[in-house]
Amino acid sequence: MMEKPEKLIVDGKRLDGREPGELRPLKIQAGVLKRADGSAYVEMGLNKVLAAVYGPRELHPRHLQQPDTAVLRCRYNMAPFSVDDRKRPGPDRRSVEISKVIRDAFEPVVFTKLYPRSGIDVFIEVLQADAGTRTAGINAAAVALADAGVPMRDLVSSVAVGKVDGTIVIDLTKEEDQFGTTDMPVAMLPRKKVITLLQMDGHFTQEEFEHALALAMNGCEQVYGAQKQALRAKYSTKPEEE
Amino acid sequence: MLHVKNRELVIPGQLIAEGGYSTYGGAFRDGNQVYSSVIGLVDARGQDIRIIPLGGRYVPRRGDVVIGVAIDSYGSGWILDINSPYAGNLFVSDLAGRKVDLDRGDISQYLSIGDVVVAEVMDVNERMRVHLDASGPGMGKVRGGKLVEISSAKVPRVIGRKGSMTATLQDVSGCKLKVGQNGRIMIWGKDQKMVNAVVEALLMIEREAHTSGLTDRVRQFLEKIKSEGA
Repeated sequence: MMEKPEKLIVDGKRLDGREPGELRPLKIQAGVLKRADGSAYVEMGLNKVLAAVYGPRELHPRHLQQPDTAVLRCRYNMAPFSVDDRKRPGPDRRSVEISKVIRDAFEPVVFTKLYPRSGIDVFIEVLQADAGTRTAGINAAAVALADAGVPMRDLVSSVAVGKVDGTIVIDLTKEEDQFGTTDMPVAMLPRKKVITLLQMDGHFTQEEFEHALALAMNGCEQVYGAQKQALRAKYSTKPEEE
Repeated sequence: MLHVKNRELVIPGQLIAEGGYSTYGGAFRDGNQVYSSVIGLVDARGQDIRIIPLGGRYVPRRGDVVIGVAIDSYGSGWILDINSPYAGNLFVSDLAGRKVDLDRGDISQYLSIGDVVVAEVMDVNERMRVHLDASGPGMGKVRGGKLVEISSAKVPRVIGRKGSMTATLQDVSGCKLKVGQNGRIMIWGKDQKMVNAVVEALLMIEREAHTSGLTDRVRQFLEKIKSEGA
């Protein structure tokens, strides 16, 4: 465990030199895996997340099949080497919950009615974690779903906001998450500005919450820009390459 | 009013047009606006908007010609894998093209598991049960040849405008092709080298489907291999 730094905000700047409203460096790549129907790799600061999508495909076990729609399944998983102390492999209470909230975030955007009796599987693997892995996972999964050609109403963009030393900041790092007072991941559909995921650990007053949410929505817009760019980049390769 | 150019690359959720347009595969309406639901190229013709997808699985539609592989059999027919989330059903009489008396002998004389069949999608119901028919001309059990599988979204490119790409592939290589809408392609040819060249060309089409001038590049590629001689 790290020592708590004396101050998390010095002269209005954060420990890594960012402004309160500034995102960490963001890198998104679409179509990185050959065997999956769709895939994406996302780096948000020190977070490294890989997402793969399979389907729509025949759903097994059969009793999960729905006669009128496709079933969306998500698995969020952290690699044993993704954190400082080795994480015990396998699903745990935390990852089961995160898998569920991520699935709920995507359910309203995917046109599941087009593929009755089938299943769409989304796998999110966290390779390196530094707070905000669920938001990075959602960003990766959205690009992977689009890459797989799954029809969607919109992409989903996500970022966390929080309160550190009394200041509202966006896209918290591990230190800020651990020693800050509040952490609130937000996911939204950038086109309609509809929130599909909102969790909160800690406290906000109403004014703080409204300010934080506005900051998060602004951050989601930036993430959305990077997602669009990643999808476009995959299809702008020159014909002579390979 | 159209917000994008024809043949422009769009991504899910992107605004394509506003006004009274009709939407087809890949596009959807929300109020007065038309959006894309997949990553693909816009195909706008008058009041009709469609997105040509660049990926995604094959969904069977009535009238499509598909190439299936028998994966299971039951008393009166077979279940065919058609490279889709849904399996196809083929009855003996729809393969033999006549009434088959099931009381006399078993049906394994017609087809065994693992056999490849060219068939037409006769019907797809709302639960996506697929009914196949293989009695038409040029259909039925496949003998010999090579089977190639590509993404079904790239099939329109393999066929080309009015079949130009398939014609090029067949004319230059001297091989015979059968293209299934589900992304499976059968190749028959006497010259093994040209069969392999066609396989390479098909993979090239899959890779470069979103670029222009592809038919010419494919022709050059095949002619180069052909001129190299045996």
